[in-house]
Amino acid sequence: MMTILLDHIIPAPLKDRFSQNDSDIWNKMVEFTQGEYIKIKAPSGTGKTTLVHILYQIRHDYEGRILINNQSVADIRDDALALLRQMQVGIIFQDLRLFPQLTARENIELKRVMQKPIYESSVIHEMAEELGIARILDQKAGLCSYGEQQRIAIIRSLMQPFEWLVMDEPFSHLDIENTQKAAALIARECQERQAGFIITDLDEDSHFPYSRQLHL
Amino acid sequence: MAMTGLSIAIILILAAVQLQADYQDLLYSKNNRDSVANFLVINKIITHQNLGATGLTEVEIKDLQNQAYVESVGLLTPSRFKASIQSASDRFPFYTDIAFESVPKEFIDITAKDWTWNENAMFIPIIAPNMFLDFYNFQFSFSQNLPQLTQQVVKMIVFKVNLYGPNGMVTFNGRVVGFSDRISSLLVPEEFMQWGNTVFGKSQHMKPSRVIIKTRDAGNPQLTAYLKEKNLVTDADKTRFSKYRRVVDMVVSISGITGIILFAFALLVFTLFIQLTVASSREDIRLLVTLGTSPSQLKRFLLSRFLPAILLIIFLSFCVVGMIQFFSAKKLSGQAIFINKLPATTTILAGLLIMLIVWMVTGFSINKCIKDPLKVQ
Repeated sequence: MMTILLDHIIPAPLKDRFSQNDSDIWNKMVEFTQGEYIKIKAPSGTGKTTLVHILYQIRHDYEGRILINNQSVADIRDDALALLRQMQVGIIFQDLRLFPQLTARENIELKRVMQKPIYESSVIHEMAEELGIARILDQKAGLCSYGEQQRIAIIRSLMQPFEWLVMDEPFSHLDIENTQKAAALIARECQERQAGFIITDLDEDSHFPYSRQLHL
Repeated sequence: MAMTGLSIAIILILAAVQLQADYQDLLYSKNNRDSVANFLVINKIITHQNLGATGLTEVEIKDLQNQAYVESVGLLTPSRFKASIQSASDRFPFYTDIAFESVPKEFIDITAKDWTWNENAMFIPIIAPNMFLDFYNFQFSFSQNLPQLTQQVVKMIVFKVNLYGPNGMVTFNGRVVGFSDRISSLLVPEEFMQWGNTVFGKSQHMKPSRVIIKTRDAGNPQLTAYLKEKNLVTDADKTRFSKYRRVVDMVVSISGITGIILFAFALLVFTLFIQLTVASSREDIRLLVTLGTSPSQLKRFLLSRFLPAILLIIFLSFCVVGMIQFFSAKKLSGQAIFINKLPATTTILAGLLIMLIVWMVTGFSINKCIKDPLKVQ
């Protein structure tokens, strides 16, 4: 069971801008227990992406501590951090972060084989079929539309084992129908792993049965 | 570019190592060895200052013995009594005053079975220098109208050996039992010399003036330098090769040094090439790390991109040197110079060492390169 504890986190860029009592997360003690479906709702510019990046440890400019299973993430070394990203924490970035010169399939495959694969490569096609991007699998990711790229990024994140899935506005480029398909796939995958997720979004929604909804 | 430089450098280094190995092989292998040159008689250079004091001290002999290229040192003991030889019969009369020398058995290049002496034996075996016989046969016999003699005939002649001591003269029978190229004096067994010097010797404690050394390599420039430094002298004919040796040594080292310098430059260029490649895919590497690629995975991946090419280069360079060696051996054997057809073990070791160095440098520069994108996010 992987527990994430945010101990009075204040990101440097927002330090002077946010008012202390407005947020459920900034400068508070917040604990996420594995299996929880956490929704973080906030308008633009309040630091959703910053939070995701801090959680995923690609930003270090903050005050306070993040503890994973009571261990400070600041103490985690490069190789251990890589292992955490391979085995315990999945991610969907808002800016997607695909290799534009690789095909959609290669982008997903890369993540599948980064650790010991949990799925056959045929699963890529099944998931792509489910999300309606099977026909662009062999197209360069850079040439795909944002909607397609977003679905590639979603499938990519599901190629690895995880206890937490961190998603930063994962449906921002999808229509309602595609959003529902993607949400269903994500929910199913999380259930299979008995994993929890943290999702950020601008608005209210009912894509998932959230266990907690927090304001940033 | 980096690869070409690296190839040339590796070929040069390996060739230099191989050349050195062949050279050692030529000097010391049984096929090419000259047994005479390995024994040198050494004495002090006689100058006006040291006349009558040419003895070698124990310290000097010990020092000589301690030199790496000297295998063993034997003392030449001169006779300290007056002696003469004369013919046993009047049919072939001759008489001459003579002096002997003795030397430990292992320094004598002929094995005469009766090369011993004891007090009860009235017969003294003698080894004469070949040049004495040559001198007799090609000069003396002509001028005196005497017959030329073969070694066999000389060995059959028994003559009288007279030793003169304080209590009068003692006569023995003597015979030449062998001829030597190594030491240019009349040699008698050590036992006889010891006895003679004790019984007939005029002075008892005399420092030896000449020593004989056994060396693996008479042409060793170090040996020549040592002799010069200590004011010693030996048969210059046997050490003259040291001069050529020095020239060849220098040529070999120059090619080796050139190879090493080139190797260093090639490594530098190669390191820059790695850095450039990594820098050009810096964004990709950063994304890979973000997605969870571990530094060790990244390092393995990058090594797998660069190492095969390097290993191929080293292997090909080794093959080139091996081929040169093979064809040289073939060509040289026609001139009765025998070198190994296969590359030497040292060349293989040098190849492995280069492999290790390149592997380490590659690993190091990759480490350095990927550290950067890991830190900056």
